[in-house]
Amino acid sequence: MLILARKADEAIVIGNDITVRVLEIKGGQVKLGVEAPARVMIHREEIFKRIMAENKRAGLDAPTDLADMLDVLKAGVWKLPARVDGLLDKVGGGGKEKL
Amino acid sequence: MESRVQGAIAGRRSATGSGGKDLTSPLMVKTSRFGEIEVDADRIIAMTSPILGFSESRRFFLRPHHGPESPFLWLQSVENPALAFVVVPANLVDPGYRPEISPGDRQELEVEPGRDPELMVILTMYREAEQPRITANLLAPLALNVEKRLAKQILLDPAEYDIASPLE
Repeated sequence: MLILARKADEAIVIGNDITVRVLEIKGGQVKLGVEAPARVMIHREEIFKRIMAENKRAGLDAPTDLADMLDVLKAGVWKLPARVDGLLDKVGGGGKEKL
Repeated sequence: MESRVQGAIAGRRSATGSGGKDLTSPLMVKTSRFGEIEVDADRIIAMTSPILGFSESRRFFLRPHHGPESPFLWLQSVENPALAFVVVPANLVDPGYRPEISPGDRQELEVEPGRDPELMVILTMYREAEQPRITANLLAPLALNVEKRLAKQILLDPAEYDIASPLE
């Protein structure tokens, strides 16, 4: 890991177009300003990690048989709107399918 | 990893015997939940950025769940047989769900000006829990450009959206 010491108002540059500047250091907290192109995702690490963990749970542990889960859905106050089919066509999930 | 990926994709040559790389020929995709599935090439959805935690899986396809009146769709990975998300169109979960989509995300998904990508939310199924339940990830939905078959998981403001909103 590269370790750099920086004072307030000093910055580091990553690649050609990302600048991370120390804006303020106060009471055990550092305020950083990040300048980067719009395509670069910038988020707090803990949010990233939470989303990764949730994705893993959702995508790897999903049960094959969803019949029970459909019952869970329908048992709630949650009602299926009549437009479900239309929506599925819109996102390309419905229609032709070969198994 | 490489050999597993190649095995899982195993694209078929076209029936015309042209021998070249035919983008329209169906793929045979191995899945841990549904066995081997034939998928038309035009149904493949390409992730412009990876779903967080799954950078090796860049191609997916949607497969409806065939339960009675089921709104569930499977988003199955082409590269990883064990990876399949249960998703639903976001406005089924909340008709008022209209998060702001950043210009960067729009650009990446090649969304035409004045249009919006379709949003799908990923569901987490707690089937084995004492009280089986479902939560929806409203913080990081999938944005999909249907015409171009491009998608990405977009990240919204954690102060505004819940990562595990109970469906009840």
